Amino acid sequence: MRQRGMILSRRALLGGAASAGVLASLAGVVRAQPAAIRLGTLNPLTGSGGSYGPSMRKAMEWVAQEVNAAGGVNGRQVQLFSEDDQTNPEAAVRAARKLIDVDKVAAVMGTWASAVTTAVAPLCWESKTFLTTVSGSDTITQLPHNGYLIRTQPNTHLQIGKLGEFLLSLRVKRVFTLAAQTPFAVPSQKRLQEILPRGGAETVGSVIYDKDKTTFRSEVDQALRAKPDMIYLNGYTPDCTILMKELFKAGYTGAKVAQGYAVNTKLLGQLPAEVTDGTYTATPSPAVESAGYRRLAKVLGTDDLDPYSCQCHDHISLVLLAVAHAKGEASGTAIRDHVRKISQGNGVKVDSAVEGLKLLAQGKDVNYEGASGPCDFTEFGDILDCKIRFDQAQGGKFKFVKLI
Amino acid sequence: MGSELAQLLVNGLVAGIVLAVPAIGFTAIYAVLRFPNFALASHATIGAFAGYVANATLGWPAWAAVSVAFVVAGIAGVVNDQLVLRPLRPAGALTTAIGAVALTIVLENVVRFVFGNDLRGYALPIRRDWQWAGIRIGPQQVENLAIAVAAMLAVFVFLGFTRTGKAMRAVADDPTLAGLKGIDAERVARLTSFGGMGLAGVGGMLLGLDTTIDPLTGFRVILSVFAAAVVGGLGSIPGAVVGALTIGVAEELSLISLAPAYRTAVGFVAILLVLTLRPRGLLGERAY
Repeated sequence: MRQRGMILSRRALLGGAASAGVLASLAGVVRAQPAAIRLGTLNPLTGSGGSYGPSMRKAMEWVAQEVNAAGGVNGRQVQLFSEDDQTNPEAAVRAARKLIDVDKVAAVMGTWASAVTTAVAPLCWESKTFLTTVSGSDTITQLPHNGYLIRTQPNTHLQIGKLGEFLLSLRVKRVFTLAAQTPFAVPSQKRLQEILPRGGAETVGSVIYDKDKTTFRSEVDQALRAKPDMIYLNGYTPDCTILMKELFKAGYTGAKVAQGYAVNTKLLGQLPAEVTDGTYTATPSPAVESAGYRRLAKVLGTDDLDPYSCQCHDHISLVLLAVAHAKGEASGTAIRDHVRKISQGNGVKVDSAVEGLKLLAQGKDVNYEGASGPCDFTEFGDILDCKIRFDQAQGGKFKFVKLI
Repeated sequence: MGSELAQLLVNGLVAGIVLAVPAIGFTAIYAVLRFPNFALASHATIGAFAGYVANATLGWPAWAAVSVAFVVAGIAGVVNDQLVLRPLRPAGALTTAIGAVALTIVLENVVRFVFGNDLRGYALPIRRDWQWAGIRIGPQQVENLAIAVAAMLAVFVFLGFTRTGKAMRAVADDPTLAGLKGIDAERVARLTSFGGMGLAGVGGMLLGLDTTIDPLTGFRVILSVFAAAVVGGLGSIPGAVVGALTIGVAEELSLISLAPAYRTAVGFVAILLVLTLRPRGLLGERAY
């Protein structure tokens, strides 16, 4: 046996030597090609964002594949380095360090939770790495990021502005807010106070509650004393479930509106239709009519794409177009300096990276409008506009109302 | 203002009476086993889910499902106490209390593993509240009130008039003396774990009947339960009732001048006040 082992190992040695030779010659071929463009994806593959992360990553991998198949960016292939942020700031910081220090990526794309983005952002701007995110908290773009950050998720200001417009279109007059204690509770209320008086409506009060309480009877009493004709439930699913029950029990018959992530199909399944009927929901919407959206939906095998996958599709497309516009310079600073030159302005409208790269190669200007929306950014990195979709619960199901 | 105050009082009393059920369980376990058993949180959750299975899956009415909550949480209480907490008891009350916190987190995750993280509601019709003179009270609240009062009466009758109940009080008063009189302290400990955790299970279900349940149901309420027991006097069963009513009413009345977000702090202010001014609690320890 031992001898046989010797023979085998000798053979293995020979084989190894031969393959090393082949590899060495291959390395020569690889060296002859320009270095790949190195980009990082940092998505929540596990943790509370775990239901979104895998599809976000797939969307980015697909764009990279398409671009590579079409010849890359200025002849350079795109190489993705992917990490899981675990929806956890500490894990995200470790992963971002690896992407920046070891993998030397030019951009980190697709962080989801606001807490994760807030933790990762300083690493990025310190190392001049570009960061693209889908986090919504107002505070993110207020960080001193020197332009090394853009986000495609509408912030509270934009979202609540649209909600206010919608409420005015319903001709409500007296709006009361029941809000969970979160960083966006007060900014949301202030924004509504700005918008509603423009259409002759007013905010008649608000209560910020501790969302971990098991009963909200007194909060509901407080709301009803203000005699509102619309109650805005600005919380999460567990507390909104209890609030809706209690509003029903208290005999409230006015209208209700809530965020789509709180009053969702799961909540409708929990409560009788008579409790939820008539409730409006607001959800940031991808550009469902766009060709980019339809293509991505086909690739990911769904008719109903989540907004984050659409946004990630746009993140990598924007980054690659910016690199191409910077004459192939794949650095965080080049992306920062060129991203607005391909995302907005008077160039030819394009909805895919491949199409945009072709036009850029011909020396034309482009204006990218993706699967998530127009992708136009302010100097702070916020998007200028986004569509919000409004639905209404009817008989335990959502019915589309309008897009604003 | 008058009706607002009356409404807050009604809300507070209802919340307090429901809170009193697990608070009695907590204080009874403390009286006999001499440690704060924070594992009560997960047993409230276990009871709530056991009741949910009986009610929503098997179609039992709420009052019958409550007895399932009592028995399942009680059995879980005895098993967990024997397997996990009893070996820790010789190391002292602090070690056992820490063990109980760890145990409750483990059990909560077991519930999560079996039932998932989703919210669940009992299969009960949601009925409009009764209203008169500007005050409202829900049919479900009245039912909860009745169940809670019945459970409390049963506890008082058991402790006051049965041989085992008297044995339990004897062990709580002086374990050594009770031992000399031939009372089996271990048996009493098991019975207390069963009854105390059973009451926790009933409390968990009562809380869920009016709202929803999830694996964190018990965890959310444990601090108020603890506050109620401390305010009333740890170890005193009538004290737990008085403490729970005090906490329930104080939390609601605080809303007159405080934003609801700070309501949770009320229980802790009450703990600090009572520990500073009357360390043995409102009724004092060992009042029956």
